[in-house]
Amino acid sequence: MVPLSETLVRLWQLVSGGQFITQLIDSTILFLSGFVLALVVGMPLGLLLARVRVLRIGIEPYIMILYATPMVALIPFILSLMGFGFAPKVLVVFLFAVFPVLYNTVEGARSIKPELIEVAKSYRSSEWALWREVMLPYTLPYTMTGVRQAIGRALVGMVAAEFFLSSTGLGQLIMGASQNFDTAGVFASILVIGLIGVGLMRLGLKIEQHFARWRN
Amino acid sequence: MTESTMNASLTVGAARSGVALSDRLRTTFMPRLLTGFVILLAWEIVVRAFAPAYVAKPTTVIMAIPRVIADPAFLRATGTTLAAVAEGLAIALIFGTIIGLLMGRSPMFERGIRHYVNGFYAVPMIVVLPLFSLWFGYSGATRIATIIFAAIFSIIINVADGARSVPREYMEVARSFRSGRLSTLVGIVLPSSMPYLLAGIRLAAGRALIGAVVAEFFISVGGLGYYILYNSRSYHHNEAFVGVLLLAAFGVGFELLVTWATRRFMPWYRRDEKTS
Repeated sequence: MVPLSETLVRLWQLVSGGQFITQLIDSTILFLSGFVLALVVGMPLGLLLARVRVLRIGIEPYIMILYATPMVALIPFILSLMGFGFAPKVLVVFLFAVFPVLYNTVEGARSIKPELIEVAKSYRSSEWALWREVMLPYTLPYTMTGVRQAIGRALVGMVAAEFFLSSTGLGQLIMGASQNFDTAGVFASILVIGLIGVGLMRLGLKIEQHFARWRN
Repeated sequence: MTESTMNASLTVGAARSGVALSDRLRTTFMPRLLTGFVILLAWEIVVRAFAPAYVAKPTTVIMAIPRVIADPAFLRATGTTLAAVAEGLAIALIFGTIIGLLMGRSPMFERGIRHYVNGFYAVPMIVVLPLFSLWFGYSGATRIATIIFAAIFSIIINVADGARSVPREYMEVARSFRSGRLSTLVGIVLPSSMPYLLAGIRLAAGRALIGAVVAEFFISVGGLGYYILYNSRSYHHNEAFVGVLLLAAFGVGFELLVTWATRRFMPWYRRDEKTS
């Protein structure tokens, strides 16, 4: 155990040393790459599943299985297949983040009332208008619940990738400190990641609440 | 929910006539089977065409299953991990419920620790590993500590939510019958927040499993996670993948168990109301 004062002093040393900032940027790039990729894949795919019923019924159970699978267990495979580059780490973050988005979007799609689509259809709505005016607004709040979960998971994925694949970023900072028995350094890094976690969680809740306004 | 009620009515209908059953077979099971088959086939083809021979593919994984299940090392690893998860989860459950109940019913207690609970919940559990390994050494204790840390906060948060939302009338009745503090807490608040507790356990179990695997990766202590790590490092991907399948089965199994328990014992409670 280390007193807070010592932790803060160590934190200041890390920040003023400049090393900390580069690590933070490294981690941010990794986080954003994986997370944005998860959104870009998860949201359209979820919506597609929402529209094509047969596809949805077919894929749903597998998405549920992958959602419940601890993705960390796949890291050793990714390591031995893809090595120590940047791409495998992005893949880890992506895998952590994509299933909550997909799972919740499909969940939302499942609850679209058939009448809504029938009404749109009977007004001869085009496919594009149906997506834009009915499907997207209806599933978006659910998707955003997934996005909130994905933010938390992506953060875990980011640290896991930095621990178990090539060591970079904030993960490396913690590992390095821990290997040198620099408990104050470990505390300082955990404090920073904790604050980032809290901040991102808040952001996620804000986003979710913003879109939840027209839910129900 | 609409679909599950629909499914329920379908099963009722199926009991009456064979028509609905064959309908369900055609609209639900066939697409699912077919999709599963397509996924496995695509996986097999891609691996055969592009990946080295040691990479896991469906046919070789299936062939590895009997061998792995009969392997005492695998059984021991599974047993160790499950025992650790059960132990950690039990500890997290007991203390999490107590703290959660207190938090939900005592505004002062809540104001005092709310930010810390939410803060710790938001910390990616994996970052505490280096710290725990310094504190508890490279042993099973670190794994238990990680599991507890991973699991306890989602239980606290959910139980506190549940305890806060006990209907006011219940509390008034309890008070007018001069029920003591403890008996109100145990006899009314706890049963009333049961659905929330179950939701918390569902989350916690998933996190606990991840915590156990991550801890085993990190400190190389024997267990299912280490089994996966060790085998994939020595290019026994098929054996390692059986471990992943088992983990997935635990994750899904627990999810289904809690959903079933909620429906069975608390049919008036609908999960989608809570998650919103």
